[in-house]
Amino acid sequence: MGFKNFEGADEEFNLEQMEAETEAMLRLRYLTGDNATFTRTAGGFVSLDIAKGENGEPEHYDRVRVVRSFPFTAPGTYISIRTTEEKSKEIGIIKDLAKDVSKETRKMLEEQMNLRYFTPVITKINDIKEEYGHAYFDVETTEGPCKFVIYMNSSSVVSLSDVRLMITDLDGNRFEIPDYTTLSAGELKKLDLFL
Amino acid sequence: MNLKFDLPAAQQSAFTPADGEEIRYCSPYDIGTDGRLKHDGYIVVTNQRLLIISGAEVETELALKDITFLKCDPLVNNGILIVRTEQDPEERILARFTMKHVSRVAFIAKGALLLRDGVPKQVISREYDKTCPVCGRALRGTKECPKCSHKPSVLWKFFKLCGAYKGWLAIIALLMLGVAVVQLVIPKIQQVFIDDYLKAGRGGMKEILIYAGILIGITIITILLHVLRYWMCISMGTKMSMDLRQMLYKKVQILSLSFIQDRRPGELMNRIVDDTRQVRRFMEEAFAGMFSCIISMISVVVVMLTMDWKLTLMSVVFVPIALGLSISFRKNIHRRFHMQWHRFDKTNSGLQDILAGMRVVKSFGTEKQETEHFRKLTDDFAKVQERNEVFWASLFPIISFVMGMGVYVVTYFGGVGVLEDRFTVGQLQQFINYTWMLYGPLGWMTFLPRMITQLMTSLERIYDVMDEEPLIKDNAEAVDLDIKGEVEFKDVTFGYRSYEPVLEKINLKVKPGEMIGLVGASGTGKSTLINLIMRLYEVDDGHLLIDGVDINNLRIEKYHSQIGVVLQENFLFAGTIYNNLRFAKPDATEEEIIMAAKMANAHDFIVKTPDGYNTYVGEHGYSLSGGERQRLAIARAILNKPRLLILDEATSALDTESEYLIQKALERLTAGCTTFAIAHRLSTLKDADRLVVIDGHHIAEVGTHNELMEKKGIYYGLVTAQLQMQALKGEDAAAAMENAIVADAAVATDAASAVAGA
Repeated sequence: MGFKNFEGADEEFNLEQMEAETEAMLRLRYLTGDNATFTRTAGGFVSLDIAKGENGEPEHYDRVRVVRSFPFTAPGTYISIRTTEEKSKEIGIIKDLAKDVSKETRKMLEEQMNLRYFTPVITKINDIKEEYGHAYFDVETTEGPCKFVIYMNSSSVVSLSDVRLMITDLDGNRFEIPDYTTLSAGELKKLDLFL
Repeated sequence: MNLKFDLPAAQQSAFTPADGEEIRYCSPYDIGTDGRLKHDGYIVVTNQRLLIISGAEVETELALKDITFLKCDPLVNNGILIVRTEQDPEERILARFTMKHVSRVAFIAKGALLLRDGVPKQVISREYDKTCPVCGRALRGTKECPKCSHKPSVLWKFFKLCGAYKGWLAIIALLMLGVAVVQLVIPKIQQVFIDDYLKAGRGGMKEILIYAGILIGITIITILLHVLRYWMCISMGTKMSMDLRQMLYKKVQILSLSFIQDRRPGELMNRIVDDTRQVRRFMEEAFAGMFSCIISMISVVVVMLTMDWKLTLMSVVFVPIALGLSISFRKNIHRRFHMQWHRFDKTNSGLQDILAGMRVVKSFGTEKQETEHFRKLTDDFAKVQERNEVFWASLFPIISFVMGMGVYVVTYFGGVGVLEDRFTVGQLQQFINYTWMLYGPLGWMTFLPRMITQLMTSLERIYDVMDEEPLIKDNAEAVDLDIKGEVEFKDVTFGYRSYEPVLEKINLKVKPGEMIGLVGASGTGKSTLINLIMRLYEVDDGHLLIDGVDINNLRIEKYHSQIGVVLQENFLFAGTIYNNLRFAKPDATEEEIIMAAKMANAHDFIVKTPDGYNTYVGEHGYSLSGGERQRLAIARAILNKPRLLILDEATSALDTESEYLIQKALERLTAGCTTFAIAHRLSTLKDADRLVVIDGHHIAEVGTHNELMEKKGIYYGLVTAQLQMQALKGEDAAAAMENAIVADAAVATDAASAVAGA
């Protein structure tokens, strides 16, 4: 309705719609190679076709978002496939990328996730310089050499497990050290301050 | 935030600008198509094209006019620039970048779209970079990197600031010289005493007493000089930080709202409180010490040189070594104690977490787990602490030993000198004393760089605010005007960001004494319109006239004193109700205040409180309900008998009955007073002379309630929607109708049938 967006009218106004939204919120639809077809787009994204949708009608999405539910602990399972608009809605979930979809699809979706998540893995620490409340890192990562700055407080370096570290820099970029015990003694000494 | 980087030569060579083509925006992008970090990619927007340049090659080139869609999509820890063009309607990735550039590219994308549409506005970003784009140093809330910017340095400004305290500085310098002289004299007296009396065998009890007396006298003088110097430094530091604080506060008040709203509230507070304190601490602790150290070290070396230059050189040689060693020790110690502090912080927050969540812990029965968790934290902390204490205890003597190296050398070679009769014993003693004076302050000096950097950081943040130019200030030919209340908008365009207009080409003429109701969806610019009338912001384009005079030509203070404002969220200051009401008119009489309170339907509840008008409100005072606050705010606004009254959701927190009462009172008051009212509850606006509906940055409808209902436009939709909502709430339909604005029976039926229709 035309005036739906006006003040006061937007809350509590359409009960039916609210009911429908609650339904949609509770729905959990699993996508597999059987019911969903993913296709690469020319622009570097992925589109989705569901042959038999909710109402038996086919559904088509020009571009979908591929989102990890457990990005740190289970990056390959419970992948949420979502629409791209601001108030992104879930289209469905892929329970296990390794089992539920074809190899080709898996590769395609992993590409999308690599695009979405950018967390270079630190392979070598060249230098950590500390200066007035900030630490300047000079490292080699899987994505190339990199220099970044972090705050010297406890939230900049977070341990995800006993050996796994996540470092967040001033701008909000993240870097991972999957197992800090594999670093050389010299590197460990530089990192010591943050462990 | 810099939106126009200088394009390096390599990338510059990659493209040749056409005639009249120039670069408008330029940002690096730092992730390649292969997902690897790169350092030679640039996104360039000219007035004709959008280019993605990688190294010396143009990767993509698009004419701006072909672009149909351009957006920076923030992903997780990186972002991508997406484009759609006439030729290729599918979304395509243009470039990928880390978080460093996400917000920059978002601004540039907006700028590119404006260029495409031929809007001549340059997008600017008031955000600050987190690190310096040139040198990579962390920036602490300043626009420019202090190291890379070439404006007159902060240190220079600081010296200029110090100029205001010339007298103090001169006295402090004299005192410091005095201290230095006295310090130099003591070893000399000792030498004379040893050589001429003790060793010469001429001294008796009398000489010893005189010597002791002189020593005591000099010591007392030294103490007095020190106390005086310290006292002077503290007073100067306090005075300086107070002056800075007041200057900052004044500046913040002058600066327009947009400056304040661009910053987190705590940030400005920190600048006024913390940064000025930092300046004070520096003046107290470091400033005097720094100069007296330098003065006494230089004078000591000079005196030593006159005594024996060879021995002097030998003792001075160790100064840099001792300095270097103590710096490296300090770094190590700092590292260790930072680690300890880090653990302590962790333990603390862990404890706080558990205590705050005790209810949850108990109700889930996880006490054991939490105890174990906390034990681990404290264990960790204890281990680090123990290690550090042991380290400190064993290291400290070593440091002292190292710091004394010069003295050992002097003792050895000086001793040899005495044996060879080149020196007297007294001279050796004197020399050793001077050497101690040389090495003594070294440890302290190693802290100086840190203290100076802290001072510089604070000064930079202070001057960052001080150097800001207020956007709104009085014109040279600003006039005092007793306003009658005519308000006219002439083609007014305004946006909080110049490239995002909130209001566009607004034309409206309001007669003196008219009541205007402003209606529209949230975010359409009703409050913005009011902000413009209050002159909290300046219009971007067009004119806003008050009684035919451009609002920019009115003297701000006089103008503001004639406006009354009641907002939805009304801020009351810590203080009594009485003081809060008098805020806009400090000389109001008790009678005036009671009248205003009565008109705002506040008198009764005020008198009911134990302390009446003297009731303390604010943080630790009497807590007022939302409705009571609003009524106080209304009383405050009308006390001044304003010519322009602004009511932004002024009665929203009131129940219908009080609202009705206040409206009745306001009606009498606002007779002859131009009123602008925004209300969520449309019934509030039923007495408005005209209603102005704002939609999509424009004035969509203007007219009386009846006219607009007949028009069946946006306003009609709003009214019916509110009726429906009330019906849904289960209220009696009749009551709903009564509450709604039903001036016209025919329209009411109309609306009712709409309810039935839904």
